[in-house]
Amino acid sequence: MTAAGFALRTDGVGKRYRKGWALRDCTLALPAGGVIALVGPNGAGKTTLLRLAVGLLAPSTGTVEVLGHDVTASTPHTLSRIGFLAQDHPLYKRFTVAEMLRFGRACNLRFDQGLAERRLAKLGIPLDRRTGTLSGGQQAQVALALALAKRPDLLVLDEPVASLDPLARHEFMQVLMGAVAEGDVTVLFSSHVVHELERVCDHLVVLNQGRVTLTGDIDTLLAEHRVLVGPRTSTDLDRAGTVVEAVHSDRHTTLLVRDGAIPAAPGWQTQPVALEDLVLAYLRRPSEPGAAVAAEVAS
Amino acid sequence: MTWLIWRQHRTEVVVLGLLVGMFGVVLLALGTQAHDLFPGGPARCAGEARVTDACTASFRRLDDEYGYVENLLAAFYLVPVVIGAFLGAPLLARELEDGTWQLAWTQAVPRMRWLAAKLAALAGVTVALTGMFTAVLTWFRQPFDAWEGRFQYDAFDLQGLVPVAYALFAFGAATAAGAVLRRSLPAFGVAFGAFLAARMSVALVARPAYATPLTTREPVPAGGAKDQAGSVPGFADWTIERGYADATGRRLSSAEYSELEAAADQAGTNLNQFLHARGVQRFGVYHPADRFWTFQLVEAALFVAVAAVLTGVVVWRVRRRMI
Repeated sequence: MTAAGFALRTDGVGKRYRKGWALRDCTLALPAGGVIALVGPNGAGKTTLLRLAVGLLAPSTGTVEVLGHDVTASTPHTLSRIGFLAQDHPLYKRFTVAEMLRFGRACNLRFDQGLAERRLAKLGIPLDRRTGTLSGGQQAQVALALALAKRPDLLVLDEPVASLDPLARHEFMQVLMGAVAEGDVTVLFSSHVVHELERVCDHLVVLNQGRVTLTGDIDTLLAEHRVLVGPRTSTDLDRAGTVVEAVHSDRHTTLLVRDGAIPAAPGWQTQPVALEDLVLAYLRRPSEPGAAVAAEVAS
Repeated sequence: MTWLIWRQHRTEVVVLGLLVGMFGVVLLALGTQAHDLFPGGPARCAGEARVTDACTASFRRLDDEYGYVENLLAAFYLVPVVIGAFLGAPLLARELEDGTWQLAWTQAVPRMRWLAAKLAALAGVTVALTGMFTAVLTWFRQPFDAWEGRFQYDAFDLQGLVPVAYALFAFGAATAAGAVLRRSLPAFGVAFGAFLAARMSVALVARPAYATPLTTREPVPAGGAKDQAGSVPGFADWTIERGYADATGRRLSSAEYSELEAAADQAGTNLNQFLHARGVQRFGVYHPADRFWTFQLVEAALFVAVAAVLTGVVVWRVRRRMI
């Protein structure tokens, strides 16, 4: 995989269901390599975007390109380079773990059975158990082992740890990050949990109400954004539209600004912003002017 | 893919196979005994020859000893829908129910190939099971057919080509319903309802119209002999309508016929002589027995065509990623 390549590129992608638009005007260019987090509240369109990325859905508008190929063509070659772990990590419940691996072998061009067996043995998951009788954490691990055995170039995970207890969650992320460290795989995962992202992710996409509100390399985003604290003011907040969020207390005004490194006005203090606060600020922000419902989502 | 399809659907296939095998063996055992009542084969007693004493005795014993089985055969109307819908309903619905469609369609087998393999394999099992069962049933009914013809509802619908076509229709309906409803059990129910509605309306309304029926007209015989051998329509023909017409050929309503009956009573004459004297004719509208295979082909083609349309809907939905 080339370092300059893109794992996922979308251009003006929209997806409309019968109920309305789940995703609109989504234009993204996510670099190959590293870990990309897709963050947003429930119903923001994360699952839709991920299903579009792996070709499970076709976009209503725009194009989706994965690893340089149009994913809607669904050729065996493209499919074999993508690993997908759907929400709640579905497995055939009446299959044994060994049969799940046989399923993977039967349906893939390349499938590293040994790798999967080693991973499962290390976790103490017996091959002769039916997957339906395993714990949630073990099921997630089986699904992950199955996806990793394809040796994918892009691994897409939809809310991989949302349904797991803290211990299983920790174990899952450990295995996932171990796989990232071992191989040349790009990981794209969605989450509505924003803490701990900084530790595991390189790239961030914030999705709100079907629109991308923020995307970029995490280090760059943190460098571009600052928190300014100064005397309470309600004017002068529209400077080139760089104010992401303004919070007023009795005497102070706190601004989150995206201005690169423009010196602050006299009387204002500058602080770096924490990633979690940055994400929350963008989630609270109306996704388009006049979108009154944004407040409801943020609450 | 072969292994996967077998692993996913082996329960249905084994259960249906056992049921078909069980009923098949019972029918073979009973059928062998029933066939033994006709030395030289039941076909020799069909038609004109059935009036021979030996044949009459055989038919009487057949009715006494195996008539109850024939009545039970009516339950086998449902065999095609049980086989077809049982195999078709979970094809997509179970994957959609459990979320495993996301697993199945993100492996390296493109979804259209996955769908084609599943449809071909399970439709194949549907045809094989229904075909085997129908072959046994068709053979079992031979003595009864020699007696009653093959055009009655409890004969035509259970033998030949149509049961396989019914099963394919049920398979297509269940698969399509599963794709839309995303649940196996409701899909099975919808397929069952669609099957009953389609079968009844086709059998009652469409089937008589596959060809123009023939009409025969003959004067009421003065002697009053009824149902003499060689009368038309015969026992094996499919009679659509029967009645009386006046001398000009105009059909008599039942009220008009009752009036004639009453008039004959009043006059104190024999009814047949009375009718004969007035030139009243008996008419019959019927499809001759030799149209059996034509009708089988037409009805089978009808159901297979609808099954193909339903399968087309499934393919279209999966292709357009509407699932």
